[in-house]
Amino acid sequence: MNELDKQFEQLMKGVSIDSPSKGFSLKVMERIQAEAVVKKHSLLEDYKPVISRKVWIILILAFILLLVYITVSAPDTAQVEKPGLWSAIADSLPKLNTKGVSNIWQTATGLFTGIPPIAYMILTASLALWTLDLFLTRFRHSTSEIQVN
Amino acid sequence: MDKTDDIYYIEAVRKGDVSAFSILVERYQNMVYSLALKLLKNAEDAEEMAQDTFVKAYQKLETYEGKSKFSTWLYSITYNACISELRKRRIHFSSLEDQRFSDQDEMKMYDYFSETKKEDQERYLNLALGKLPEDDQVLVTLYYYESQSMDEISMITGLGVSNIKVKIHRARKRMYAILHEMLHEEIYSLL
Repeated sequence: MNELDKQFEQLMKGVSIDSPSKGFSLKVMERIQAEAVVKKHSLLEDYKPVISRKVWIILILAFILLLVYITVSAPDTAQVEKPGLWSAIADSLPKLNTKGVSNIWQTATGLFTGIPPIAYMILTASLALWTLDLFLTRFRHSTSEIQVN
Repeated sequence: MDKTDDIYYIEAVRKGDVSAFSILVERYQNMVYSLALKLLKNAEDAEEMAQDTFVKAYQKLETYEGKSKFSTWLYSITYNACISELRKRRIHFSSLEDQRFSDQDEMKMYDYFSETKKEDQERYLNLALGKLPEDDQVLVTLYYYESQSMDEISMITGLGVSNIKVKIHRARKRMYAILHEMLHEEIYSLL
């Protein structure tokens, strides 16, 4: 800055600058607070799936293995167990269907009745987690669209 | 980190303390508004633009790397927003014909002007500043009033440093010429 600039700077420093209306700061902060709410939602941007792909594969494999194990190792014991819903349906089927169809049905229902309740619980819980996972992922995408710039 | 530093409040906002942003608003509202007003020439538009600037700054705060001053970053948002608004309205900057005012004339004018009353000085300077083209008003305000360096002004406006240097030099001379004209008219009216 040369001498002329310094002189002029001195003059300009004496000028009072324009200022906005009184409630300006408050109005801005109201808008910022509203933006902050949108930003909070965007925290879901960092969302990672509840169950990773690896765990999903392990779960599916474990479930298949369980099914195979039950089918192979304990087909007879399933018949002995007290009749459940599947058995009741299976028992009523021979009266309605032909012999061949009823045999297939009996084999299938026998397989399901052989599955312990814990396996159903695992399946239900996994499906619930998968649904939640899907919902959160979709929600993440919808909030990212709200984000400005 | 000093509690008066901008970066202290920026970090606080980044950590989730939204109210810390109000300190930055309070600190820079006048300058942001003033720049917008100089470019848009309308108080309502300028206030709306200033609000938008702060909201945009809040939204983009994560992208502020601290390489430049926060004020420089903020003024660049203001300037660019105003320029794009003016482009939308297809308003072009007004221009003044180059008036010849030597360095010696400037010196004389400064000596004469500094002897006038402070209130009158402010009034004349504001009037003279208002007569400059919009972009020159911004440059003069940033350089002489806000003491932003040429490099910082270059970051704000996107103009080259040498271009800014020339523009500021011309703007200062123009202001002195306008002031001279004003004072001349005043003296004649008194006579």
